[in-house]
Amino acid sequence: MDLDLHLASIAAGDPDAFGAWMAEAERPLRASLRSFATRVDVEAVVQEALLRAWNIAPRVERDGAPNALLRVTLRIARNLAIDEVRRARSVAVGDDDHDASLRFATTVAMPDPLLREAIHTCSERLPARPRQALLARIASEGAEHDGTIAARIGMRLNTFLQNFTRARKLLADCLRGRGIDLGEVV
Amino acid sequence: MTPDEREELIEAVTTAHRTIDPFTRMVRGHEAFHDLDDDGRRVAYERTLATRAIERALDPKGWTTTARAVMSRLRPAARRP
Repeated sequence: MDLDLHLASIAAGDPDAFGAWMAEAERPLRASLRSFATRVDVEAVVQEALLRAWNIAPRVERDGAPNALLRVTLRIARNLAIDEVRRARSVAVGDDDHDASLRFATTVAMPDPLLREAIHTCSERLPARPRQALLARIASEGAEHDGTIAARIGMRLNTFLQNFTRARKLLADCLRGRGIDLGEVV
Repeated sequence: MTPDEREELIEAVTTAHRTIDPFTRMVRGHEAFHDLDDDGRRVAYERTLATRAIERALDPKGWTTTARAVMSRLRPAARRP
């Protein structure tokens, strides 16, 4: 799949087109940073790289190969991660990291409707409190600290986090019962 | 650090909530990440992958909380200079 089908609209400033691009680009972007997971907060790097992708999109030129914007974003993310490692004076970046991310640019997967349905069904079967924690964090859209979300739904922070952990585990167990390994999915 | 405290730190890192550094204007790492050892950070990364897959499936547009957090920063700001 060539996500550059959204590029012209993104370059013209259409946030919805960027959202559609991001829905597919986020997973390979995050996966490309696996080798940095012990050295940088990958979530922060992913978000910063996506914001920069939005800013740089008008200057990205298609080169005949698919996913030009994704390839640029993977490189941005990798450079951000390397900068962060160097800034923290952590372990030196090894050869394994060099351009390892680029192979992900051509492996963007389409969402699987059956998987989506299975996750929906399993989430509806969660016990009340874990389900409440899972849905509350999703509803917050990354805009609130967990402490704020926990207070709103009447949980202490540690209880909220425990319920969230339990929700994901129970959901993974339910999916496994349907022959789906969440670890393989991601 | 007790095992329960470590578990809470790991789970805390899996949120998409991140602040913006007021000086660099860049997305700042989660404070809990810095309190974790390498194994804890690796677990947090893997759990985040699984969590985002769940979020993606439960969202009508296929957006994760990461995508929504990024979108919220695009709309008011348009493009950064």
